Amino acid sequence: MSSVQYAETNVGDALPEQKIEVTSSLIVGGALASQDFTPVHHDRGAAQASGMQDVFMNILTTNGLCERFVTDWAGSDAQVRKVAIKLGTPNTPGETMTMTGTVLERNDADKTVVVELAGKNTWGNHVTGTITLALP
Amino acid sequence: MPTTLKDEAAIVGIGQTEFSKNSGRSELQLACEATAAAIKDAGLTPDDIDGMTTFTMDTSDEIEVARAVGIKDLTFFSRTPHGGGAAIGVMHQAVMAVATGSANYVVVYRSLNGRSGARYSEGVSGGPTTSDLIHWSWYMPSGLMTPASWVAMFTQRYMFETGCTSLDLAEICMAQREHAVNNPNAFFYQRPMTLEDHQTARKIVDPLRLYDCCQETDGGTACIVTTPERARDLDCGGAALIRSVAQGAGAEQESMTSFYRPTISSLPEMDLVAKQNWEISGLTPDDIDCAVIYDAFSSIVLWQLESFGFCKPGEAKDFIKDGALRLGGRLPSNTHGGQLSEAYIHGMNGVNEGVRLIRGTSSNQPAKNGHVLVTAGVGIPTSAMILGQLD
Amino acid sequence: MGLQGKEREAFEKTLEPYVGIEIGIKEIGRDEINQAMIRHWCEALDNELPIYTDAEAAADSMHGEIVAPPTMLQAWILPGMEMATGEPDPNDKQKELHRLFDDVGYTGVVATNTEQEYNRYLKLGDRVKAVTVIETISEQKATGLGIGYFINTKTTFTDQNDEVVGSMTFRVLKFEPSQQPAAAPTDDSGAPAKPTRIRPALAHDNQWWWEGVQADKFLIQRCEDCGVLRHPPRPMCGECQSIRWDSVEATGQGEVYSYVVIHYPEVPGYEYPLAVAVVDLEEPGLRFVTNVVDCDPEDVHIGMKVEAEVREMDPDFKMVVFKPIA
Repeated sequence: MSSVQYAETNVGDALPEQKIEVTSSLIVGGALASQDFTPVHHDRGAAQASGMQDVFMNILTTNGLCERFVTDWAGSDAQVRKVAIKLGTPNTPGETMTMTGTVLERNDADKTVVVELAGKNTWGNHVTGTITLALP
Repeated sequence: MPTTLKDEAAIVGIGQTEFSKNSGRSELQLACEATAAAIKDAGLTPDDIDGMTTFTMDTSDEIEVARAVGIKDLTFFSRTPHGGGAAIGVMHQAVMAVATGSANYVVVYRSLNGRSGARYSEGVSGGPTTSDLIHWSWYMPSGLMTPASWVAMFTQRYMFETGCTSLDLAEICMAQREHAVNNPNAFFYQRPMTLEDHQTARKIVDPLRLYDCCQETDGGTACIVTTPERARDLDCGGAALIRSVAQGAGAEQESMTSFYRPTISSLPEMDLVAKQNWEISGLTPDDIDCAVIYDAFSSIVLWQLESFGFCKPGEAKDFIKDGALRLGGRLPSNTHGGQLSEAYIHGMNGVNEGVRLIRGTSSNQPAKNGHVLVTAGVGIPTSAMILGQLD
Repeated sequence: MGLQGKEREAFEKTLEPYVGIEIGIKEIGRDEINQAMIRHWCEALDNELPIYTDAEAAADSMHGEIVAPPTMLQAWILPGMEMATGEPDPNDKQKELHRLFDDVGYTGVVATNTEQEYNRYLKLGDRVKAVTVIETISEQKATGLGIGYFINTKTTFTDQNDEVVGSMTFRVLKFEPSQQPAAAPTDDSGAPAKPTRIRPALAHDNQWWWEGVQADKFLIQRCEDCGVLRHPPRPMCGECQSIRWDSVEATGQGEVYSYVVIHYPEVPGYEYPLAVAVVDLEEPGLRFVTNVVDCDPEDVHIGMKVEAEVREMDPDFKMVVFKPIA
């Protein structure tokens, strides 16, 4: 798998868009894989008791999907340094989350780039934020 | 000889609450606090008040405010529709009431929890199926549902026809911010703004950016209107004579969406209001020393300068570019910071600033203050008045 | 409206002791960084980057060996099943703090932001532990959800050598719900309904026009007496005061007279940025407010030639939209 080189990047470069189908399997699988057994992320009854329609995605999974969106573009030699996200509308089963991102900043000193990203579902932005990564 | 409203009334008291993002109390309480403060400033007691008027959009009933404040018998009460267009419409009501003897002392009030309560930026929606809701139904399905979106549509066309740009709008925002920096009541007190701040702020509805839009504020204001004769006898904080006041709705008027007129780069309703004010007062634009120009959005200031004849149609950007709206300029305007930088109380905080300008007590007091123009909302049936000195 | 005055001062005093303290619950990784948990994570999240599971590819990369996905950081210290079945930890100062808020009406809680920094990637065999401190409690704020306070916590992660490997700040809003949450809309099967555009209110004077659109017609009202066309429809002719009217189909040709691109607020059911235009119709003197579709909103401009299409914008709801003429 080839990696994006720092020298090839420009401010404003768009990352390839991803469409992530949000299923019960992804929500529950992501919650358990992250050791987050809070009931609202795997038990529909508990989620409904909390006022939601169905189980909803936990933050670790959201973080992980943001990381994946960026490293799918950047490749194996990138090092993620920082993930800063703002949470918005919940991700519930049946949604499609569209991930978009662009290169916001480049820092020659440490060959890092800051990617600004958003993951949007039908109710608005599920997540917005930035990921800082060092590139070869 | 028909009665005109020339010199028939004066504003003798002003009151207001603090302006904030979370008042922590009801709109009724804000209305009461502002009203009581205005009565005190006028040197009156609640017993003296016999008239009340506010906006149809106000949630505090006249009689509820009256009971709470201790105002007793009322011989006049009324409401004016069309949001910010009512800001001087309510003054028109008060002036007519005192000029005809329907009331002696009228309280004009307006309060809103515009930030912590219902927010106008969230747009119009539901309600009973009135002709007004049918009107909005031509726009909501396509997503045009906030004041910023309606005003941006006029702004885009105006920019296309006149060559006005976002940099011209920035001058209005920066001039007013410069005023707010000196006004302790302003949200942006001691918080200056640079051209870069304006130009890099996020887009709300292109071509309007964040600082082109007014704030959302919690607060209340009130003022007291009476006849000039009574005003002379009062030991009040200073009276402002109402030289003229008028309302206007233009041909093919819609509320905020008059997109079907031959041109949408001017304001026929404000032209009509201006014409009446000049006719009633016998004054001309040259007689106006400073102004409070309704500024829910920066661009609407330009169109009003043209309606009142301070410059020719399409030339407002040239009129303002050398600092005409700033202290020392041709027409120092929105010296409180305006609704962009002081607070958004639906134009009524501007009425109080107009009185302060006449009294000589503004935080940014211009040297000349013989006559002050005060205008109300734009794009809707609207209103304006000219204040002057009481002999 | 939140607490005010003396009550608010008294409440805020009770918060002060919590600022700067450790939350007091044990956060020790129960397992070393291991391949099984990494594989489980990568499969669940469909992360195919080879450095996490393929020893050979990892050796060839700049990492030199298998590493854990950085955003797994917190997963190494979460207690798993205990979160569903366990009793609350009596030493949990964060829960204690939240209860203080609950007791005075700030019952809502929502995570608003998180930020993680990684000093290095974790490797197989590493073992992490963490310490969390309540860093700050904000002033009372008015937010879209209601009046409340933001609580920031900071977690510092260290390895088996007590070296810091990463950190996480977490921002939670404890708020007084500003209104009862509306019942969640559902479709006939009980599944959550998708948001749709705001539908027009229908009444005598406009219903016929919208019914025309649903039947794929773009109609213009016409005075039966003087023949003048008018839009939006009104019950009387402004030229001759006739109340008799019929309608004709519009040609659908037009030119953009003015337009906006809406960025904020984003209302569910609409795609943003959203272009809305006032179109000069070919029929003299008539304009029509509409979305411009099938082009980048940034490419819309005054004078752009456009044509109408009746399009299903939501299931069961058609609108007249305009698209550029190629």
